Amino acid sequence: MLAHQRGTELDLSWISKIQVNQPAVLRRAEQIQARRPVKKEWQAAWLLKAVTFIDLTTLSGDDTSSNIQRLCYKAKYPIREDLLKALNMHDKGITTAAVCVYPARVCDAVKALKAAGCDIPVASVATGFPAGQTHLKTRLEEIRLAVEDGASEVDVVINRTLVLTGQWEGSDFIKTSTGKETVNATFPVAIVMLRAIRDFFWKTGNKVGFKPAGGIRSAKDSLAWLSLIKEELGDEWLKPELFRIGASTLLADIERQIYHHVTGRYAAYHDLPMS
Amino acid sequence: MAATRTGSRACEIFTTLEYGPVPESHACALAWLDTQDRHLGHYVNGRWLKPEHRSSVPCQDPITGENLASCLQAQTEDVAGAVEAARTSLENWSTQPGAFRAQHLTRLAKMIQKHQRLLWTLESLVTGRAIREVRDRDVPLAQQLLQHHAVQAHTQEEALAGWEPLGVIGLILPPTFCFLEMMWRICPALAVGCTVVVLVPPASPTPLLVAQLAGELGQFPGILNVISGPASLGPVLASQPGVQKVAFCGAIEDGRALRRALAGQGPELGLALGAESLLLLMETADVDSAVEGVVDAAWSDRSPGGLRLLIQESVWDETMRRLQARMGRLRGGRGLDGAVDMGARGAAARDLAQRYVREAQSQGAQVFQAGSMPPDSPFFPASLISDLPPASPCTQAEVPWPLVVASPFRTAKEALAVANWTPRGGSASVWSERLGQALELAYGLQMGTVWINAHGLRDPAVPTGGCKESGSSWHGGPDGLYEYLRPSGTPTCLPYLSENLNYDTFGLAVPSTLPAGPETGLSPAPPYGLFVGGRFQAPGARSSRPIRDSQGNLHGYVAEGGAKDIRGAVEAAHQAAPGWVGQSPGARAALLWALAAALQRRESTLVSRLERHGVELKVAKAEVELSVRRLRAWGARVQTQGCTLQVAGLKGPVLRLQEPLGVLAIVCPEEWPLLAFVSLLAPALAHGNTVVLVPSGACPIPALEVCQDMATLLPGGLVNVVTGDRDHLTRCLALHQDIQALWYFGSAQGSQFVEWASAGNLKPVWVNRGCPRAWDQDAEGAGPELGLRAARTKALWLPMGD
Repeated sequence: MLAHQRGTELDLSWISKIQVNQPAVLRRAEQIQARRPVKKEWQAAWLLKAVTFIDLTTLSGDDTSSNIQRLCYKAKYPIREDLLKALNMHDKGITTAAVCVYPARVCDAVKALKAAGCDIPVASVATGFPAGQTHLKTRLEEIRLAVEDGASEVDVVINRTLVLTGQWEGSDFIKTSTGKETVNATFPVAIVMLRAIRDFFWKTGNKVGFKPAGGIRSAKDSLAWLSLIKEELGDEWLKPELFRIGASTLLADIERQIYHHVTGRYAAYHDLPMS
Repeated sequence: MAATRTGSRACEIFTTLEYGPVPESHACALAWLDTQDRHLGHYVNGRWLKPEHRSSVPCQDPITGENLASCLQAQTEDVAGAVEAARTSLENWSTQPGAFRAQHLTRLAKMIQKHQRLLWTLESLVTGRAIREVRDRDVPLAQQLLQHHAVQAHTQEEALAGWEPLGVIGLILPPTFCFLEMMWRICPALAVGCTVVVLVPPASPTPLLVAQLAGELGQFPGILNVISGPASLGPVLASQPGVQKVAFCGAIEDGRALRRALAGQGPELGLALGAESLLLLMETADVDSAVEGVVDAAWSDRSPGGLRLLIQESVWDETMRRLQARMGRLRGGRGLDGAVDMGARGAAARDLAQRYVREAQSQGAQVFQAGSMPPDSPFFPASLISDLPPASPCTQAEVPWPLVVASPFRTAKEALAVANWTPRGGSASVWSERLGQALELAYGLQMGTVWINAHGLRDPAVPTGGCKESGSSWHGGPDGLYEYLRPSGTPTCLPYLSENLNYDTFGLAVPSTLPAGPETGLSPAPPYGLFVGGRFQAPGARSSRPIRDSQGNLHGYVAEGGAKDIRGAVEAAHQAAPGWVGQSPGARAALLWALAAALQRRESTLVSRLERHGVELKVAKAEVELSVRRLRAWGARVQTQGCTLQVAGLKGPVLRLQEPLGVLAIVCPEEWPLLAFVSLLAPALAHGNTVVLVPSGACPIPALEVCQDMATLLPGGLVNVVTGDRDHLTRCLALHQDIQALWYFGSAQGSQFVEWASAGNLKPVWVNRGCPRAWDQDAEGAGPELGLRAARTKALWLPMGD
């Protein structure tokens, strides 16, 4: 679904020129979260927008077709219909951006989505996720199989051995981490990545997408991520083609916040459908 | 399900993803104003005072123009009443144990904590500044200041033994930042046992609220008194009996005028002037982070002033592009909106910025403005000015908020030269990822505060101040405490004003010297020359003045120095300065000790010279011996300078550096012709200054004898001694724009003149107000006060991280 990067000659001198001052980036990260609160109708609208960026994810060893099916249904109907109606947003086709599963579950997801009658893309993690420490041959085969099963997006774990030894790879979309690390999507790291995306755009005209994943659980967090993108890259990056949030429990909290916005009450867990 | 709160606009916002208003309710601020019937008076001695028949000024919301309250304008008797209250409570407050004062300050911190919402909404409402800055920065900082200084009070008896509180402090504040600036100064003043009278500009209710909160603690109502009135009441405040110090914070020209007005009034004057800052961006910097530094420094509501931005040529285009892109995302609006970066600070601030921009444009500069800003009048957009011709008047003028004036440079050396080519010396930041380069620049900048790869960090433990025309007073840290202390036993400051002193003619004419009668001895003694640039020289006027001994007989001739000789001496001192500053402390100590040894060898000559001036043999010997000791003592002290401060919430150290003032001029007292000369010279040299001295007028010969040793021992120009008419030489020194500090020990009139004339370049001055000093006592002749006065502090912030 994404237009492929035209690609550019890899010029490592760009990377060697980059300077990052960690304490200054930490300060910026702290400021940005406090400087742009979004309230009331704006909050509701922003949260609905955030829903459309979510790669609704389940990456558990015990995933089966039944919970994948539930996940896909939630992806299609992320917010309770009556709440959307109250906001007059029920006819905007609000779904999550994709569902994201392990390669072996791609089939289940494709089937479930087809049954639900929607064209939400299925994203698959691949290439020895989450460590990426498998042979190039099996990694490539894994991607081929996932695509064969119907995955239209593949989250590739890069070979970090190569990166740490200075041998970089190119990409259409960059992700903060697998979500399986001890530290995942943090603001300071994101700021550095976003600035790199902007510099690359200024130099080549190519827009690289960005996906924070792991640890984004609250509606408030998602708002902060949206305003971070808006501040560092601008509105043109705030679309599913260029921005995704990898999350599993975030959607539930967003739905609760929307419920509160509409009704003025705080929801019990069972007031909202399970994912 | 009933849709109780629906968003008709949700649809539209969903598409545009625009920001919405986040209004903060200011109901509690209005409710507080209502308790005063929207009519604010003064808060003195724990009570509201609303005297009759005073004119009043409306306190307006700077953005809507809505009248919030009316504020009384104080008159002389109101000021007198407030000072009286402060003076009465001083006795009780200053004699309390430090631990007790610490408790009281802690209680005030708690009081502020309880009413923080009221404080921040009121402050944001009346100043127009973004509430986020007030809420997340100013109010917590105010509490930290109280806590920090409570700790200082607690340890005062131990840590500050030998010092006592000055007395009543008068504090004069600027409009926009008066709450925070007040806290920076009242905390140390109250902590060490002073009491305070604050004069706030009309329509600044937050300091009044703080005073009320302090008053409601019950005990010690008179320690903090706030009156609102025009800055023209400053001299009135200073002239009240009991006021020992006036601390002024505001515009440079107002500070200059106050310096002149207060000459001879008695109280010390501490100035903190101007608000401009500087940012040095090297090509090795993290440019994006530096751009955020620019935002913090000029395009936010935490910055009081504008910014001079120096960008290395090789990254000029890249930086300008990033700056302009970043400016586009700035949001201006009503300060009470929680999602706003910049509010509006009233018509005066806006007009100032407008005038500067227009003038810059007319001089050919490029002006770039951006950011979403309400178009109506109180707001002024963030502005980036470039291509300003170097010689244009705007380059010299202070850059107002929210303006950034960018100019390129080629090398680090050039950056330093450009950065220091200004009469101001407040704060600056250096952005470079090369450690050596960053430190080199940070040490070379003539500024009070330097941040490396950060801008605008503040902490109660770190002294903040400036040099040159930014004033040389300090707040925060150890230096902030000494501002309100004096060595125990020092007499209080009394007015010594001489009404008929004519500043235009004081010391202007030099009485002519005529032959003074029979020369004794076999061969006539040659006249002593002026000791300038390391050798004795004939004076420009080619005339000499006779020196008589205690019997009235001719003792010898010394050179009659004049304005040209002072000029030459100052030039020589400037030339010697880089070499002396670059010396290691050890090398400086060695030279002072060598000088001490030379003095010892010359003892018999010196003793006989002193004897001829009527000093008893025993006393003369003691004077020489003590002089030797002083040189040795300061030589030893030179090793211990500067320290590292630890700051909460900052990873990395803050260095408190003690830097030399530069060229220090010293007019020595008439008494103790050798000892006073050495006692003043030694700390000045120990701290790395180069010196121009005027020795005792009646008995300059011992000092000139010492010069014979200095000629062989010290680098040329390090010490320069000019003899002549003291009033005339004092005039030349005090009016010299390139002398960085002046110590004057002489007549009351001379002291008054020095204070008045120092307004020219706002050099720090130390005058004796015509009072003698016990140079033979260690407390007055070699106390820590001399060391503090001989150096200036620089706070160097070094945040770290990988």
